Amino acid sequence: MSSRSSYLIRRVLHGFMALFIIATLLFFLFRLGLPDPTAALITEGLNPEERERIRASFGLDRPIWEQYLIYLANILQGDFGYSFHYRAPVADIIWERLGNTMVLMLPAIVLAYAVGAPLGAWLSWRRGSKVDTSGIFVGLMFRSAPMFWTGMIAILVFGIGLGWLPTSGMRTLPYEASGFFDKIFTLDFLHHLILPALVVALYYLGSPLLIMRNTMLEVYGEDFIEMARAKGLPERRILYAHAARNALLPVVTQLAVTIGLAAGGQVVVEVVFSWPGLGREILNSVRTSDFPLAQASFLVMAAFVVTLNLLVDILYTMLDPRVSFK
Amino acid sequence: MSTAITERLIGALGVPQISGRVLAVALGVSVFATQAQAQEQELLPSITLTTTTESYDPIRYEAAFIVAERWRELGLDVTVAPTEFSTALERFYDQQDFDATILGWSGRTDRLDPQFFLSTLDSRQSSPGGNNPGGYNNPEFDALFDQQSQAFDPEERQQLVMEMQELYKPDAPLIVLFFRDEVVAYNHDAFEGFEPMAGEGLYSEWGPMEAVPVGERSTLRIGGPQEPDNLNPLASTSVWGWKWMRLYYDRLVRLSADVEPLPWAAEKVEQVDDTTIEVTLREGMTFHDGEPVTASDVAFTWNYYLEQDYSYFNSYLAALERAEVVDELTIHFHLKEPSASFASISLSQIPILPEHIWSEIDDASTLSPSETPTVGSGPFQFERFDRGEFMAISKFDEHFYADNIAVDGVEFIIYADMEGVYTGLQTGEIDVTAWRMEPGQISLAESQDHLTVVNVPDFGYFHLTFNLRRPPFDDRAVRRALTMASDRERMVNVLLDGRGEVGSSVIAPVNTFWHDAFIERFEFDMDAARAELEEAGYSWDEDGRLMR
Repeated sequence: MSSRSSYLIRRVLHGFMALFIIATLLFFLFRLGLPDPTAALITEGLNPEERERIRASFGLDRPIWEQYLIYLANILQGDFGYSFHYRAPVADIIWERLGNTMVLMLPAIVLAYAVGAPLGAWLSWRRGSKVDTSGIFVGLMFRSAPMFWTGMIAILVFGIGLGWLPTSGMRTLPYEASGFFDKIFTLDFLHHLILPALVVALYYLGSPLLIMRNTMLEVYGEDFIEMARAKGLPERRILYAHAARNALLPVVTQLAVTIGLAAGGQVVVEVVFSWPGLGREILNSVRTSDFPLAQASFLVMAAFVVTLNLLVDILYTMLDPRVSFK
Repeated sequence: MSTAITERLIGALGVPQISGRVLAVALGVSVFATQAQAQEQELLPSITLTTTTESYDPIRYEAAFIVAERWRELGLDVTVAPTEFSTALERFYDQQDFDATILGWSGRTDRLDPQFFLSTLDSRQSSPGGNNPGGYNNPEFDALFDQQSQAFDPEERQQLVMEMQELYKPDAPLIVLFFRDEVVAYNHDAFEGFEPMAGEGLYSEWGPMEAVPVGERSTLRIGGPQEPDNLNPLASTSVWGWKWMRLYYDRLVRLSADVEPLPWAAEKVEQVDDTTIEVTLREGMTFHDGEPVTASDVAFTWNYYLEQDYSYFNSYLAALERAEVVDELTIHFHLKEPSASFASISLSQIPILPEHIWSEIDDASTLSPSETPTVGSGPFQFERFDRGEFMAISKFDEHFYADNIAVDGVEFIIYADMEGVYTGLQTGEIDVTAWRMEPGQISLAESQDHLTVVNVPDFGYFHLTFNLRRPPFDDRAVRRALTMASDRERMVNVLLDGRGEVGSSVIAPVNTFWHDAFIERFEFDMDAARAELEEAGYSWDEDGRLMR
């Protein structure tokens, strides 16, 4: 077996191990940490026998080990179970919400990196100048500003003040679209996307900008740059064709990690803009002690992170010959 | 310490038996002496006051500190414990592991009938999980409770209900802290004609039927941060599910804004005998799919609910034996025992389901959202529900009340929080708030030209309940004194900004017919509180700590 494929097999196995441990932790964590799912029904005036019946219908009357084994067996078959709260298959809810989250997060992240990385490269070229200082300042400012705050300011200015952009949801009411793609391939959707996506993009902008800038500065000291200079290549060419290509590696890593974490959405943005994404759903599922939904949501997030980390490692071996399969 | 144990101890130490016995006697004497001394001056146990976290409800959180401050002044050692809401509920109801807890009951329309709130003081509700976690136990109260629940004559029942309030109040088993007004707003440039309803605000079942468009849009848009858990009439366990479903499912009786039972799908409701109620249906009603509404559908629905054992409605169905079709338009409800609330409350809560659809469903509770039927016979018909985003219903033109309805339909926009709802109201995206506004938004809304702010009194209440099983709350005098030492006036003025009323009885003043205005008030009075304690034999040590 080649070193490459044995490396891959090992990594995939590690990934599954990690997911198994996470699934187990989630199962016990929620049952230990969250109140009984029927506790909230007390305020609805349900008596103990009635609540016990509901618990039994959720399977919560069985011994915890039995519940755990059923849960593991179901996950292996790709069955995430039934939401206590919504009385609907968990998978349906998660896929829909995950889609909503991704159509917000992906454009925002891509925008942040498409602008941030070249901007970082450019700043490194102008290092020490006023442009460099103010660029770093702006990047850091949006990175440190709480997103609910930038979000609220954006709503106040562009939504309420100027009235240019909608402030909540994914589409204007009433609408007829029912399929997922009907929903997102419309101008109306893009109109709704602008504000939240911009707020997320501004937040993420700082990472590629600073990473790119700093890596570029390191690369400038390398021999091959010296060589390029000696060849008399124009500064612009050296910057983008030689230095930037080499400085991209850490940015790619960061991009993959960011996308991996994006599955959970940005709860704050989803709340501020009433975006029906997975982050909001996770929050609700924890609030209502909806174990199946909460477990599955976190597991999906974990699977995203594990998968993208794996992809990055593989990608690295292709982008950078110095990294080998060991 | 018993002699036997002392002997064993001493034996283990290798000391001879006889001297052990002597020692034990000596020990016994000294233990007795300490006890006698302690009986004279013993500090009261320190107490924990449980409340919600600040982020869940800043009002209940602050209220706990207002209470604790004064109780400390009385010489008690009080710790305030803000607790996550569901955990607080669990400890209070299921485990009964608390000293004193601040929680609340929401004012659902059916709770305007005194049955539910009075049951929270019934000793038969005091086992774990029951509605009386404080453990108030008064056989006289329980006996009156049974009498009133079977009294069909309203005047007679009113008398009994008043008597119960006068009976429990001097025992101070709980402090009714305050009734908080629900403050909601609507855009009067878009819709007018709302009549607020106690405990329901503007999003009552009448709201959409009363609203009159005065702007361009004739579809009423309601916005709120809560959404139904699901729209299965045999599985939903949230108010938000039923607030929406009742618009497209009809009921035999609807409660008016003054909470008077109005015959609705029923033309009349009559009592045949103590345990039989006869309902005659209105003629010519149809379901949204065109099928006629018959007595058979109604009887089917009620028996179906009994059979499917849907917990959420069990309290409405508890009195029912079965429903029987008499003819095309007449149904007999056979009760197990006489019930005062059956005709007014139960009949106004259970929807009418189409038999031709539901009779084929064996286990309704497991239906997924896409399989759940949405055909009703109400004044509106179901259009769509997109979880987390939006719900819509349209006016049903065949309905007998359709001519009185001015809107074309109703849309409900689901926001993530009240901030979003308020922004929607400001930008004209929605016309009415479904839920109470946050304190900061009220003054903002009042300053907006296009908004009308409405204060709606509530009959749900916030309470501080004592655990009567634990000292010092097992002593009536302590409870009375602590009630007098709770500055509820300040809570209403400061925490509610004056939008509410100081708590009196578990039956709210806005519930005029059942509320007893002449019960003991327990005005805030520290001197009276001290006097009450002194009279019961309590004293204070030199540091001002309460002793008994």
